[in-house]
Amino acid sequence: MKKSYIIGAIIIVLAMVMAMYSFKSTLTSYVSVSEAKVSKCPVQVAGIVVKGSKRYDLKSNSLFFTLREDSGDEMVVQYDGPRPANLDDVTKIVAIGQYEPKKQVFAARELLVKCPTKYEGRVKGK
Amino acid sequence: MNNLGQVTIWLGLIAVCISSICYMVLCFKKENIFARNTARLGFAGFAAFVTIASLLLMHFILNHDFIYTYVARYSSRDLPLKYLISSFWAGQEGSFLLWVLLGSWLGLLLMFKARDMEPHVMLIYNLNNIFLVILLIKQSPFELYLFPPPDGQGLNMLLQDPWMVVHPPVVFLGYAAFAIPFVYAVAALWRREYDGWIKPALPWTVFAFVSLGAGIIIGGYWSYKVLGWGGYWGWDPVENASLLPWLAGTALMHGMILQQTQRKLRKTNFLLAAFSFILVIYCTFLTRSGVLADFSVHSFVDLGITGWLLLFMFAFLAISIGLFVARIKEIPVSKKGEGLSYFSREFGFIAAIIILCLSILIIGLGTSAPLITRVLEKASKVSTDFYVDTNLPLAILMLFLLSFVPLLAWGKNSLSRLLPKLISAITGAIVSGVITLWSGYPGIGVLLLSLLAGAAAGMNILLAARLIRKRITISSAAIAHLGVGLMFLGIISSSVYDRSEKVFLAQGAVQTAMGYDMKFYGPKFLKEAKGMRLHLPLEVKKGRTQFIAQPDIYSERARDGQTQRYVHPYIRRGLITDLYISPLDYDPGQKKSGSGNHLHLKKGNKIQFHDYELTFTGFDVSAMMGRKDAQTMRVGANIAVSYKGGEPVKLQPVITIGQTDSPASRVKLPGVEDAYLVLVSIDATAKTIGLIYQGPRSEAEKSAQNSPPAVIAEVSIKPGMTLLWFGTLLILLGGSIAIARRWTK
Repeated sequence: MKKSYIIGAIIIVLAMVMAMYSFKSTLTSYVSVSEAKVSKCPVQVAGIVVKGSKRYDLKSNSLFFTLREDSGDEMVVQYDGPRPANLDDVTKIVAIGQYEPKKQVFAARELLVKCPTKYEGRVKGK
Repeated sequence: MNNLGQVTIWLGLIAVCISSICYMVLCFKKENIFARNTARLGFAGFAAFVTIASLLLMHFILNHDFIYTYVARYSSRDLPLKYLISSFWAGQEGSFLLWVLLGSWLGLLLMFKARDMEPHVMLIYNLNNIFLVILLIKQSPFELYLFPPPDGQGLNMLLQDPWMVVHPPVVFLGYAAFAIPFVYAVAALWRREYDGWIKPALPWTVFAFVSLGAGIIIGGYWSYKVLGWGGYWGWDPVENASLLPWLAGTALMHGMILQQTQRKLRKTNFLLAAFSFILVIYCTFLTRSGVLADFSVHSFVDLGITGWLLLFMFAFLAISIGLFVARIKEIPVSKKGEGLSYFSREFGFIAAIIILCLSILIIGLGTSAPLITRVLEKASKVSTDFYVDTNLPLAILMLFLLSFVPLLAWGKNSLSRLLPKLISAITGAIVSGVITLWSGYPGIGVLLLSLLAGAAAGMNILLAARLIRKRITISSAAIAHLGVGLMFLGIISSSVYDRSEKVFLAQGAVQTAMGYDMKFYGPKFLKEAKGMRLHLPLEVKKGRTQFIAQPDIYSERARDGQTQRYVHPYIRRGLITDLYISPLDYDPGQKKSGSGNHLHLKKGNKIQFHDYELTFTGFDVSAMMGRKDAQTMRVGANIAVSYKGGEPVKLQPVITIGQTDSPASRVKLPGVEDAYLVLVSIDATAKTIGLIYQGPRSEAEKSAQNSPPAVIAEVSIKPGMTLLWFGTLLILLGGSIAIARRWTK
C-alpha cells in the first residue's frame, strides 16, 4: 500500500506540474492597445468594433476589423477562427491573441463578444 | 406591502424555518409526534409557498403585468406562449426561484424516502433552502416599477429556441439534486452511520448526474444549432460551472458503488459528496457574482449577492469538513491486510476517481484563473488550449481504463483469462485507428485517444449486448461507458477533422465550396414583429443530391438604437457528416438600373445630366389619334435636349400605357455616343415624366461597379456529430436505467 501511495503521489504531482506549466503559458492578461503592440506574449484587449471597418478577406480566409479601445487607440485585428455569435458593428469585443509587428495586425485566436442584452441584469444603484 | 409574490416568499422562509426548528428538536430529542408533524407540515408549507410564488410569477408573465420589473425586462406582448413560459427563467432572479422550486419538490420526495435519517437529512437540507430563499429575497423577481412600461423588452432572440425552454429547468433540477448526496453525507457523519447513507443517497446521486448531464448536453446542442459558430463546447466559465459539479458527481457515483459493494473509500466519499455540492455553490458564485464579467461571453451581472454566496459556501464547507475532521478517527478503514490488487475492478474505480478529480482540479483552476491572478497581479484568463492540453492525457487514461476494467472482477484477476475477452476492444481500436489514419495523422495524443476510444466503445458494445440479453437493468454501466467511448470518437472527429471554407456567393453565380456547388437565389426579406428576417436561400448541389439551404440573418433594433444581429446557420445532418452553412455577412450590392440612370423631369424645369441639358416641354397626345382600341394608350413627351451646350434638339419618346410588355421605344440622344432615352412613366396631373438613360457610363459611375447582392458564408463539413449526440444520449440512458434499478429496491 505504501508504495502505491508514493507512485500515486508522484503521478498527481507530475500532472499538477504539467497543468501549472500549461496554465502559465496560456494565461493572458488584459492590456491596452499600446501595450499589446509591444507585448511578446499573448494578451487580451477590450474595445469596440469601429463601424464599417469589418471585412472578410476570402484569400486569407479571415476577418479583419478595427478595434478601438476606450482611450481612442485603434488597431487592426485579424481573426480566422469560427465566427462568434452576434459579431456586429459597435459591439464591445475582447480580442485574445498577439500583435504581429511585421503585418501590423493583431492576430486574434479567440474573440469574446459581449452581448448587451444577454443575461443583462439591472445595474446596481439604479 | 401589497406585493403578493414577495409576501409568499417571506411566508416560505418562515415555514422552512419552523420546519428546521422542529427537525432540530427531533435530532436532539427522541421521537416527538408533534414536532415531527410540525416539521413535515412546515416543509410542505414551504414547498406550497414557493409553488404559489412561482405560479404568481408565471401568471404575471402570461398577463403581461409589466409593473414587475422582471416581467418587463424578460417578456413582451408579442411572445408566443412557449417563450413566455421560458421568460420565467430567462433572468437571474427567476432562475433562482426555479432552483428553489425544484429543490422544494425534490425535498418532498426526500422527506418520505429518508426514513429514520429524516430529521438530520431534512435539517441540513432545510439549511440549504434557507440560504437559497435568502438569496431569492435579496434578488427578488417581484420588484415593482413605479410606473409600468406599456410593453416589456422581450426575450433575447438567442433564447427563443425550444431547447432553451427546457435547458434551464433541467440544469437547475441537477443543481438542486446535488444538495441531496451532500445532506446525506453530513447526516451520516452526524449519526455515525458511515455505510448506511450510501444506499439511499446513491439513486439521488445518479439522478443529479443524469439531469445535470442532460442540461449540459442540451446546452451544447443549442449552441451548435443556434449560435452559428459551429461548436458545441467553448470552455466558457458558464459551461465549466455546470461541468465541474457534474464531474464531481461522476466521481462520487463511482466511489459510492465501490463502498456499497466493497466497503471501501468511506472517507473519500464523504469528501466527494461535500465537494460536489460546494462546487455547485462555488460555480454559482463564479457566474453570478460578476467576478468573471470581463472574461466570459455571458457572465451574470452582480446583483449584490456575492457576500451571501460566499457566506453560503464557507458555511457549508465548515459544516461538512468540520464534522468530517471531528469524526475522521472513527470512520472505519477497509480491512487491513486485504491489499489492493493493481489488476482489479477496485483499482480501476479508484484510478477513475483520481482522474476525474484531477480533471476537476485543472478545470477549476482554469475557470478561477481570473480570481487567482487578480490577487497576484493583473487579472488574466487562460485560453481554451489550456483545457484541451491538460485534459487530453487524462481522457486517454480514462478511456484506457474503460477498455478493460469493466471486464475485471472484484479482487484478484489473471491476465491470461482477460486477454481472450479483449478481442472486441482490440477490434474497436483497429477500426477507429484505421479510420483516423486514413483521415489524416492527427498527432500522437489524438491518435492514442481515438485508438482507446475505439477500444472502449468496442469492448462496451459487446458487454452491453451480453448484459441486455441477461437483464436490461444490469447493463446500465456498459451502456453509459459505450456512450463515453462514442462521445469521444465524436469529439475527435468533429473537432480535429472538421473542414471549412468561406465563400462569396453573388446572386445567381455558382460557386464551389467544400465540394458542393452553391447558388444564391437572392435575398428574401420578411418583416417580423420587432425586426427583420433576411432569408438567404442557397441551392446546394453535389452529385445527385440537391437541396435548398436557407440560413438567415435576423436583425432587431435594440432600445439603445443599436442593431442587434442574429445569424442562424443551416445544418444538413447526415449519419457521418453534417454540412454546416453559417452566413457571415450580407452585401446588398448595387442595382444595375441604379438611381444614377433614372431621371425625373417636371414640365418646364431644366436639368443637367452627363453632357446633356434636358427640358420637358409638354405631353404630346397626337400619337393617340387614329387608334381604335381603347385598351392601350400612347402618350409622347416633348423634350428639348442640348448636347454639350449646343443647339437644342427636339425629341419625342413615346410610352404605351395599358400594355405590360411594350417594346421599349427608345429615342437616340444627339451627340457622338450611342446613348438613348426611354420613357418609363408619366404623371399627367403632376406634369412629370420618368426617363431611363441607356448609354455609356460617366466616369464617376464607372468606378462604382455594379454588383448583385451577395452572401459571405462559412461552409463546414463536420464529421461525427451524430456519433457525439448518440454517445451522450447513451450516457444519459445508462444513468436512467441505473436510477430505475436502484429506485425500485
